[in-house]
Amino acid sequence: MIRVAAVGDIHMGPDSQGLLRPAFETLPDCADLLLLAGDLTRHGTQEEARVVAQEVRDLPVPVVAVLGNHDHHDEQPDKVTALLQDAGVTVLEGAGTVVECAGARLGIAGTKGFGGGFVGRSAGEFGEPLMKEFVRTTRRSADSLRTALEELSRQGCAARIALTHFSPVADTLAGEPPEIYPFLGSYLLAEAIDTAGADLAVHGHAHLGSEHGMTAGGVRVRNVAQPVIRRAFNVYQLHTA
Amino acid sequence: MSDPAVPQDPAARGAAPAENVEYRVAHLHDRLAAEELGELGVRAEIRAGAIAVTGTVPSAQCRETLLRIVHEELTGLTVHTDIVVAETARPDHAEEL
Repeated sequence: MIRVAAVGDIHMGPDSQGLLRPAFETLPDCADLLLLAGDLTRHGTQEEARVVAQEVRDLPVPVVAVLGNHDHHDEQPDKVTALLQDAGVTVLEGAGTVVECAGARLGIAGTKGFGGGFVGRSAGEFGEPLMKEFVRTTRRSADSLRTALEELSRQGCAARIALTHFSPVADTLAGEPPEIYPFLGSYLLAEAIDTAGADLAVHGHAHLGSEHGMTAGGVRVRNVAQPVIRRAFNVYQLHTA
Repeated sequence: MSDPAVPQDPAARGAAPAENVEYRVAHLHDRLAAEELGELGVRAEIRAGAIAVTGTVPSAQCRETLLRIVHEELTGLTVHTDIVVAETARPDHAEEL
């Protein structure tokens, strides 16, 4: 059994230092790794990223993260990524990583993802260049997620997790105004997950959404935005063959 | 009880007329996102003539800042707030998948 701790949308700033560290230090008691589902900062500044880095530095479990839209706001996601990497965090964007957990290999494929909406109510790759680029951005992200998951399946992983910031399904947006669903996620992410296969999909972004959902292909989805789970993190136990 | 959608003393404050309450709520959203909070996750809705501001923020300081901005932006309107600070306790159980 692999124990996966996850949280997103912790939105740390200078006043946040130390708020989550006490709970994170208990992770070895209940989890084999920690996933961070993006929006770790408020504006994506280096100052805020240093707070996050300090919060997770030298934790006794591996930490794997994707960035969120807030982490891009200051337009220096590479610097945010570097600061987190310096603290020992594996930051994924269109890539995968394998973590040894409880004697098993756990694969995590991660990307921020993007919006566009869900089947029948989604944006199309049509019209103005900006509109086409919007949808293409999501498509590229979804394609990279599918490729990363497929690569992990060739690496003998006992289980695979898709980690995103934006949601792959509408289920976990329940509670958000339906009018903004296209800005909260895209079915393209779910299609990638279902095509490549995964044991769990974890995302954040939707503060007013709900925790539990499922893709059309039956992959369980969990929205771990901190305002949704109302804890420092949640833990999911994955059974491996 | 006064109609809270109508600014109670618009002349004194230079507040927008009643029909602009929606835009004032929109401007509140813009300000919450643009200023130090970078806050996109708080709802502000016109509900039964009042403005209901609800959501979860990451720290007590954020809550204080948010409430200050809300009251600055919506001066003269009836505002109900329910802003909670994100909980930071570890979970007491795991979900078995």
